[in-house]
Amino acid sequence: MKRKRVKIIAASALLLIAMAFLVIAGIQSTSVRHFTPAGLVAAADSLNNQRVQVDGLILEGSSTWDAANFELTFAVRAREGNETVNVLYVKRLKPDNFVDGGSVFVEGRYDAAQNLIVATKLMTKCASKYEAADSATPGLVTERGKK
Amino acid sequence: MTAEIGQAAIALSVLSALWAIGFLCVGLRLRNARAVQSGRNAVAATFFLTCISTGALIYGFVTDDFSMRYVVEVSSAAQPLLYKITALWGRMSGSLLFWLWLLTLSGVLVVWQSRKHTRDNLADYALVPIAIVQLFFILLVTGITDGVYNPLVRFPGGQVAPDGQGMNPLLQTPSMAFHPPTLYIGWISMTVPFGFAVGALASGHVGSNWILRSRRWMLFSWIILTIGITLGGNWAYRELGWGGYWAWDPVENASFMPWLLGTAYLHSVMIQEKRHMFKLWNVLLITLAFQFTLLGTFITRSGIITSVHSFAQSNVGWYFLGFILASTAGVIALIVYRRERLKSENRLESLLSRESAFVLNNWLFVGLTLIILWGTLWPILSEAINGEKASVPEAFFNQVVIIPGLLLLFLTGAGPIISWKKLTPNNFRRMFVSPLGIGVIAGALTWGFLAWRGNPMPIYSVLCSFAAVFVLAAIFSEFYRGAKLRAKRQEGSFFDGLTRLVMRNKRRYGGYIVHIGIVILYIGIMGSKGYFLLESDGLKLGESMQVGTFNLTMKDWFQERHANYARAGVVFDVEKNGRPLGEMKPARHYYEKTGQGETDTIESAIRHFGANDLYIALGDLPPNIDNGGIVNVQVYHNPLINVVWLGVAVMVLGGLVAIAEKHQPKPEE
Repeated sequence: MKRKRVKIIAASALLLIAMAFLVIAGIQSTSVRHFTPAGLVAAADSLNNQRVQVDGLILEGSSTWDAANFELTFAVRAREGNETVNVLYVKRLKPDNFVDGGSVFVEGRYDAAQNLIVATKLMTKCASKYEAADSATPGLVTERGKK
Repeated sequence: MTAEIGQAAIALSVLSALWAIGFLCVGLRLRNARAVQSGRNAVAATFFLTCISTGALIYGFVTDDFSMRYVVEVSSAAQPLLYKITALWGRMSGSLLFWLWLLTLSGVLVVWQSRKHTRDNLADYALVPIAIVQLFFILLVTGITDGVYNPLVRFPGGQVAPDGQGMNPLLQTPSMAFHPPTLYIGWISMTVPFGFAVGALASGHVGSNWILRSRRWMLFSWIILTIGITLGGNWAYRELGWGGYWAWDPVENASFMPWLLGTAYLHSVMIQEKRHMFKLWNVLLITLAFQFTLLGTFITRSGIITSVHSFAQSNVGWYFLGFILASTAGVIALIVYRRERLKSENRLESLLSRESAFVLNNWLFVGLTLIILWGTLWPILSEAINGEKASVPEAFFNQVVIIPGLLLLFLTGAGPIISWKKLTPNNFRRMFVSPLGIGVIAGALTWGFLAWRGNPMPIYSVLCSFAAVFVLAAIFSEFYRGAKLRAKRQEGSFFDGLTRLVMRNKRRYGGYIVHIGIVILYIGIMGSKGYFLLESDGLKLGESMQVGTFNLTMKDWFQERHANYARAGVVFDVEKNGRPLGEMKPARHYYEKTGQGETDTIESAIRHFGANDLYIALGDLPPNIDNGGIVNVQVYHNPLINVVWLGVAVMVLGGLVAIAEKHQPKPEE
């Protein structure tokens, strides 16, 4: 009886360790640091060529769509303050709700020299007037990152 | 006047909920049947009052009463009647009222179901925690916190808005009308098994009776959540133009975690019934599942997590967290108080036994939930651990769930055929050898097929095919063996035997049908997540692009006017290997009046080719489209995606079979 208990406890522990390992390995290989435009600009040199996320507003009048090359360029500005970060988004459609001054979330590799994020993921949120629907509503996922 | 009546009803429901809690507690303590009955009546009264306030709000929508703040914020005169009514859960204040209404409906159903149970009073005990949860929601609906207001209030000073702001056009689709309430119903019905668990602890009768009493509630919740989560994925797939159906967004995770825990619970209660083990675990599991239905609201509302779902941030999330902590503390206190009675009557006898398979199943479900929770909360956790705010992308979840997910798939087949207590060599030979053999052949064939097609050969697809076919073989042989035996005994046909088999034991065979659905779902996920193609291109009129074996030629464009939007799009001629397959018309909708200027939405064109989809999402049309202007398109080929929906349909069917089994619990102890 005792030996069986030991075996069962050992098996459970093994499972727990395996799961913890999965999570830790997963986090280490995929976790992406999150910045405001100001934070990113301030730490620019140390972040060159790293994957980052930035969350801010679409700078009014900054967005251009190049249909021939299938490229979207725009700048993200801080919610408070006037730091900006440039964004290049290639071969993906502009998400719904992409409007001047709208809230935007960008993920991609940062090029410090050009202060540019080459985005692999771009998500917009509804303008602030909307609350979207409710907690259950997978509201406005308007763009998926790299598939 | 109706709005004022509704407000009065909300105020009175505070009293009726307090009445229910007080009289039930006192009546149960003093064994006073009249007090208990009064408490039960108060639960019914709370439902009645909530009906009045909800009805008053709906009346406000239908009659376009723009003196009511909530009506103005989510409805407008031009909004179709269906969306005027679904506006009830269009924003938080109304959705809390709707939640409350469903919760009080569950309460009154429990009262009704237990009207004849004179020999035990488990349901009366269960009504106390249910009424406490109701009281929490009633207090929120009265508007005690910022960010939530009483949805029945009027603007101050008798002001009346000329028209409402209307609901977001993205949400004005039938599946968005039904997706939120389905999830709500699924979450809320979990309150009942939780109530029974707490009631069982309080009454001291911690045997299997509470589980049997709430079994159908839990199954109902599981079926509805399965449907609700899938409706959300299906809506996202059709409406949002990113060609996928699941992205591990915090809100999606919030809906998925209670489902995982509920599924774990549906399995673990079987061991308590059969072997009188895991009493404590089951109480903990249902408590956890219930708390996770509230946690979702906390995650999305407190503003602690950046989600693509933009919700107004407010303090309401913190109220939820407070309630979660307080109620968990209450349950733990009861557990400690009843610890002696929660001891298992049996122990695990072997690592290879059906009991162990159930334990492993539970470990994996709970483990998956914690992994997903960890990933979802990583933005806060990383700040606490490293002092850096970070988050994990979809890739994290895909990477970490795959191995536990495949193990669970394997258990879907191994669990039902492994023997209780201990796997014997005989059991292994009889039940395992051929399904395993067939599975290995399927894995090898998959490997060969992928190699032949020149696909990379991820080991996961091979393992998935192996496990899927193993499970199907194991489950079908269970059906086959049982049906043949019955047919022989009844001297009827095999089909007769099969029907009898399922009808006689709906719970067991319904469960097996769910397992078949799971296999189908996995195959769909493997195909659609693992082997999709995406081509992005800029095309002029008359130009073509190639996606896999499909050739698409953009031959024309069009523009249409509709009642509250304009539609513009292009026409593609689709060919496969040179064979014409007709037209596809991806478009964009431009909504002029939505309360925030013009917005446009992608209206993807989707064509089914058997189990596979061709999916075209369209960018803006340039003004010079007739003179060589370039249109941007993204085309997806999603293999086996329709198998995903089929798998869920089979799961739901199995759930319905299982829930059809009535169980008359005997009074115990």
